[in-house]
Amino acid sequence: MRNVGIAILVFFGALLFTQWWDFTLPSLGRAEYQAVFLANGQTYFGRYYDRVGAYAKIEDIYYLQQTLGTDPDQAAETKLIRRGKELHAPAARMLVPKSSILFVEDLTDASPIAQFMKQDRR
Amino acid sequence: MSSYDPERDPVRMAGRVLRWAGPWVVLPAAIGVLVSGNIDLRSIPVVGPERMTAVLLLDGQAYFGHLDDSGESGTLVLRDAYYFQDAKNGPTNLPVGLVRRGGEAHEPADGMRINRDKVLALEQVGAFSPVALAIQAERQLARLSSPLLTLNRAAIASPNIVAVQRVAAEHDIQRAHIAAVGQLVKLNELVLPISKAEAQVITDRTIADFRTVRRNALAALGSALGLSSAETDTYVRTTDTQLEGQGFASDAGVLLAPDLNVIVNRAAQLYTQVGDAAAKQLTQARPTASPTPTSRP
Repeated sequence: MRNVGIAILVFFGALLFTQWWDFTLPSLGRAEYQAVFLANGQTYFGRYYDRVGAYAKIEDIYYLQQTLGTDPDQAAETKLIRRGKELHAPAARMLVPKSSILFVEDLTDASPIAQFMKQDRR
Repeated sequence: MSSYDPERDPVRMAGRVLRWAGPWVVLPAAIGVLVSGNIDLRSIPVVGPERMTAVLLLDGQAYFGHLDDSGESGTLVLRDAYYFQDAKNGPTNLPVGLVRRGGEAHEPADGMRINRDKVLALEQVGAFSPVALAIQAERQLARLSSPLLTLNRAAIASPNIVAVQRVAAEHDIQRAHIAAVGQLVKLNELVLPISKAEAQVITDRTIADFRTVRRNALAALGSALGLSSAETDTYVRTTDTQLEGQGFASDAGVLLAPDLNVIVNRAAQLYTQVGDAAAKQLTQARPTASPTPTSRP
């Protein structure tokens, strides 16, 4: 009976630990935010985590959106949009196949995008 | 006399611990990791809320449905799939409309196998997002239900959600109606090659045709909502009267269930066809009777 209790505790402990861990690989000395350049030309900004398996993870995602005005001579307006208000209201966690990632760059603290994201999250 | 006690032998003790830890620690831990890797605690299989995934592809297309990514074959399987279709010029005030996978010309069976190399990203669809609500409403309208035994039970829309969808579809039909009437009025302001009386006859007839299109669209809506023919007749009469003269231009767009979206799009197409036919009649001069040639000068 004691053994069964221990097995149940270990099972739930492993389950909760894995939910928290999410198979992410530790990355020492990295910046708070990264820019993730994808194979289709899209760039996502957020917290990038390498994971065990086929997928990497990005959390708290922002992306650049260009809006053309009515005046064709005017330059397009670029906005940094926080992901989550789209029609499918995605959760903050996005899984990206590693095969779709071109490269990942850390954002410096001086980066205006990193500063905007820090302020926006407060 | 030897002081060796096999009960205290460190190698034997280690062996006992390992033999005990295998079934009671290592195995439950491995199962825990395996189970946790395939579930999300926010939507636990069988008892938790529905887990719907957005699969964004490299070509820009997005599919929504129940994702099975447990295999190692490099292929994801998406069931009960829906996708976006361009609706920029439609009456819904949204750039896209939702379509249920399966109604295409090749009538694909349920279960899209997607090459993981073509996937850009996977996201969890919000349970109360417009996409989720439209899909839930579609299941209600199409009387779709989950099998009894399923790990990911499909959510069905409540009557309130269906009512919101119905009202939004009515407003979309009316917006398309107003746009069609507006085009006709603008056309009448031009200098036309026909007489004012002729133009008025054509305009009156076209406006009556527009109203017929609206009534037919409302009847289709009533039928999709599961109303009987008598209930549909009453619904069409009352709603048609309520909609008359309304604009709904500033309404926020509601993503419609695919079955309702089809009705709205069909109505918009018919408004365009009827409007185009009227435009042709209004802008083409009637052939006048040519003088009969005579042999005399």
